[in-house]
Amino acid sequence: MDTTMSNKAKNGLGLVSIVIMIWTIIPLLWIVATSLKSDAALADPKQNVLGNFWPKDISWDNYKLIFSGGASDLFVPALWHSIIVCVVATVISVALATFCAYAISRLDFPGKKLILTSSLAVSFFPVIAMVTPLFNLWRQVGLFDTIPGLIIPYLALTLPLSIWTLSAFFQQIPWEMEQAAQVDGATSWQAFVKVVAPLAAPGVFTTAIIAFFTAWNDFVFSSNLTAQNAQTVPAALNFFTGASQFVQPTGAICAAAVIVTIPVVILVLVFQRRIVTGLTSGAVKG
Amino acid sequence: MTTVDIKPEVSSQEAAHLSDRAKAERNLGWKLAGPAFVIMLLVTLYPICYAVYLSLFNYRLTDPAGRKLVWLQNYVTALSDPLFWQAFGTTFAIVVITLIVELVLGMAIAMVMNKVVWPRRTLRTIVLIPYAIVTVVSAFSWKYAAQIDTGFFNHWLHTLTFGAWDEQFNWFGGWFSSIVIICFSEIWKTTPFMSLLLLAGLAQVDSAQEEAAKVDGATWWQRFTKVILPNMKAALMVALLFRTLDAVRIYDNPYVMTGGANKTTTLSMLVGTETVSRVEIGMGSALAVILFVIVLIIAFIFVKLFKVDLTTSGRS
Amino acid sequence: MKRMRPPRRGVAVSAAMLMAATGLAACGGSDSGSGPAKLTWYINPDVGNADASKGGQATLAKECSDASGGKYQIKVQLLPNSASDQRIQLLRRLAGGDKTMDLMSVDPAFVSEFAAAGYFAPVPQSMESNFKQDRVQSSIDASTYDGKLMSVPFWSNTQLLWYKKSVAQKAGLDMSKPVSWDQLITAAQKTKMQIGTQASLYEGYAVWINALVAGAGGQIVENPNASYENIKLGLDSQAGKDAAAVIQKVASTGVGGPAMGSATETEALNLFISPKGGFLVNWPYTYGAYTGKDKADVAATTYPQTVAGKQARPPYGGIQLAVGKDSKRPDVAYQAAACITSQKHQADYMAASGNPASRKGAYDTAEVKKAFPNGIAETIRASLDQAEARPLTPYWGDISQAIQEKWSPPSSVNQQTPAKTQKFILDVLKGKALL
Repeated sequence: MDTTMSNKAKNGLGLVSIVIMIWTIIPLLWIVATSLKSDAALADPKQNVLGNFWPKDISWDNYKLIFSGGASDLFVPALWHSIIVCVVATVISVALATFCAYAISRLDFPGKKLILTSSLAVSFFPVIAMVTPLFNLWRQVGLFDTIPGLIIPYLALTLPLSIWTLSAFFQQIPWEMEQAAQVDGATSWQAFVKVVAPLAAPGVFTTAIIAFFTAWNDFVFSSNLTAQNAQTVPAALNFFTGASQFVQPTGAICAAAVIVTIPVVILVLVFQRRIVTGLTSGAVKG
Repeated sequence: MTTVDIKPEVSSQEAAHLSDRAKAERNLGWKLAGPAFVIMLLVTLYPICYAVYLSLFNYRLTDPAGRKLVWLQNYVTALSDPLFWQAFGTTFAIVVITLIVELVLGMAIAMVMNKVVWPRRTLRTIVLIPYAIVTVVSAFSWKYAAQIDTGFFNHWLHTLTFGAWDEQFNWFGGWFSSIVIICFSEIWKTTPFMSLLLLAGLAQVDSAQEEAAKVDGATWWQRFTKVILPNMKAALMVALLFRTLDAVRIYDNPYVMTGGANKTTTLSMLVGTETVSRVEIGMGSALAVILFVIVLIIAFIFVKLFKVDLTTSGRS
Repeated sequence: MKRMRPPRRGVAVSAAMLMAATGLAACGGSDSGSGPAKLTWYINPDVGNADASKGGQATLAKECSDASGGKYQIKVQLLPNSASDQRIQLLRRLAGGDKTMDLMSVDPAFVSEFAAAGYFAPVPQSMESNFKQDRVQSSIDASTYDGKLMSVPFWSNTQLLWYKKSVAQKAGLDMSKPVSWDQLITAAQKTKMQIGTQASLYEGYAVWINALVAGAGGQIVENPNASYENIKLGLDSQAGKDAAAVIQKVASTGVGGPAMGSATETEALNLFISPKGGFLVNWPYTYGAYTGKDKADVAATTYPQTVAGKQARPPYGGIQLAVGKDSKRPDVAYQAAACITSQKHQADYMAASGNPASRKGAYDTAEVKKAFPNGIAETIRASLDQAEARPLTPYWGDISQAIQEKWSPPSSVNQQTPAKTQKFILDVLKGKALL
């Protein structure tokens, strides 16, 4: 750390930081504000303060609409689908990737570089390019609009990412400790439980979070390969309807957006450091 | 489990023994890594190959009887079509604008994060939030902020310009202003990722070297261009590559905000329209393959021309 | 084979997970054994959406289920707001062989496409006369493809010209006679008021354009039953130019409002409700949905003329009921359709939702007259006789999209637009251009 920095410079940087934080936060506050507006306030700037930003009277109608009102048929199942599909896809890909990354970082075998390179190349695939063939295939084999029909393409998003990130993590683990434990007379299993698992767990966990974010973010697959029975929230947001045909679903969309944002923001706040390590270790030499 | 670290003097017998062990390790390696590798290829390569096959047909889903093998006709049509080039232009306009802004902004944020004393932790946490926000949510947020009836942009700009800004300005009424809002959302959402990559690069810059330059009387700009940038070239290139490939595939933001109105259709959206709403499976597949090839070309340029080395990363 | 374990376990675990997920998905849609047949009705959004207490399609579903004496039970599923999104949802499910497609509310613009693709279960011969009984002709036309009845006329929409009496008076416009678009634009300019239209890049914009072309005596598609190789278009004509002139003028004079290019029915209605709104072309639901305090000032008349003196051809819309080819109980589904489209239900639905009936008799009922007072009910009925449906070709989806794109933004429309659009549509249909 630069200890020679003057107080003035410190305060200046502090100020800049605050500006950056405001820029980061405003769109979030905005979506919260919009979700708290009644239909009347949405149409009339006079019912809001701060230049049409915050409502004078807070209304919870939009939340009622998505949880118990007309939009609940669409939103509540979509929330469940999002959770189920993303968790299952994450678990499968992290489990597979853990074996794979362990082998890559610990064992010497031809094709290591091939696996890493192709996992990277595959993560550059334009996802929309996979939609056409998958749609045509899915409708023939009956996977269209089913949960597995969405989990499989999600693996294409999460698996390469998991292999890549986990390999980077595992390569930084001091595996010699495992050998040391074995030399000390511990069995393989003991060595695994006492040494390997604690060393590997943070990496696996972080990879799972990042993979989960990626799946949670998906819109292309869900909006094109589902209709209702497996639709996730980002896709459902687009098909929201208001309380009736005459009402724009603005408020309901924002309320739903707030709901899907809360868990990811909590994850970020709690695991900030790990996520940063995970995001950068896969990409930058270090 | 063992490794091949200990290398005794080689006798012929031991060599045979070693190669046995190497073989066993090789086997185990593929058994552990194989399933992930195979599944990864199945879920990604298979659709692409199938797309290549479908792209050779004139095939409309609602008219299965009219399915006809047309070889490369779809590619010829697509590549000679003004709409394709318009989508290409829009996509690359978005790529260039977001890339430049994000690079400058991301670099600035990274440098602040690198030097800031207070509020260090909070800044690093808050900045990460947009990365975790669902793109569609970001798109809706910016869309509603810019819309005439629900938004606040026009009101704020109106106040900030002392009434010079038209409160009824329709952001989604033209190509350029639509692109501005799309880029805003994209930049807001992805700059944090960029700045984190750059921050990791900054951390590798040798501070002694920077100090030495300072002592030699180099200005801030000289230090930045001569010491800091060259030292973090690798991180910079990786960040650029990731962001370029991400931006080329942009779909969610323009889809939600404009739906392609005012010529804001991007390449990915074009694939989507052909496939999903027109159900022209053949043409949609051809466009998908073209998009895929564009991405390959960009990645190739980065890796070959700029010598971005990705596979050695993470090695200590 | 100890060494084989890790990969196998991996595969087994993932397979088990997929299985569990499949099980979960399967739980959703299974109906077991006896009891009433479970029908799913895909409805477009209306006054009540999924809420059965508001008098919308959900209410009809409930009433018909109750009246069936345990024969069937209808569950409603809500489709998205825009007609294009509705089409995509239905199309994907139909193409995907979804077995829950028992009943669906289909925009007439897409009936031909689905019918030509063989996605609908045939209408039982014995019920055909029932479904044609007492219907306005335009609704029967819209249900017919290639000479065969393919769906059931449910409700029939048509656009009216809505205006504020005070504004018309101030502008000196005589609303007792048919007015032309030119007169409207002049009136709006004179009173500094705006006209609500639908010119966003969506199906509603094609509705407007089709009505303008038809009003000038033209037809966008001259032979709707033809295959894409033989199709003949009539956009490159004087009628097409007349239509373009109207849109050009509305956009260039600014009477369409600042957000004209992104206005759908909802935005247009909001513009009309706002103090700036003087005129509006929109469907009859406008009256019920008008929330302004000056509702007494609102009146309706026949759609404006494209060419002064030539009878207007108002847009035809509405909803047809269709039964999917993979429905498990098409016979029961058609019985339900008959119940839903009974005269009483059509009148009830019209009164509650503002969506006009396709049965002529409904317009004589007290409840409809109460919901559409001051002669509006009669205006709707008269407008339906003049109304022109969008071309009943299976390629309407492409044609409409092509028109919307070439005519967007409305400020870019000029006298060359129709000819350019026609050439473009033909290229698109022949696979020589992208859309």
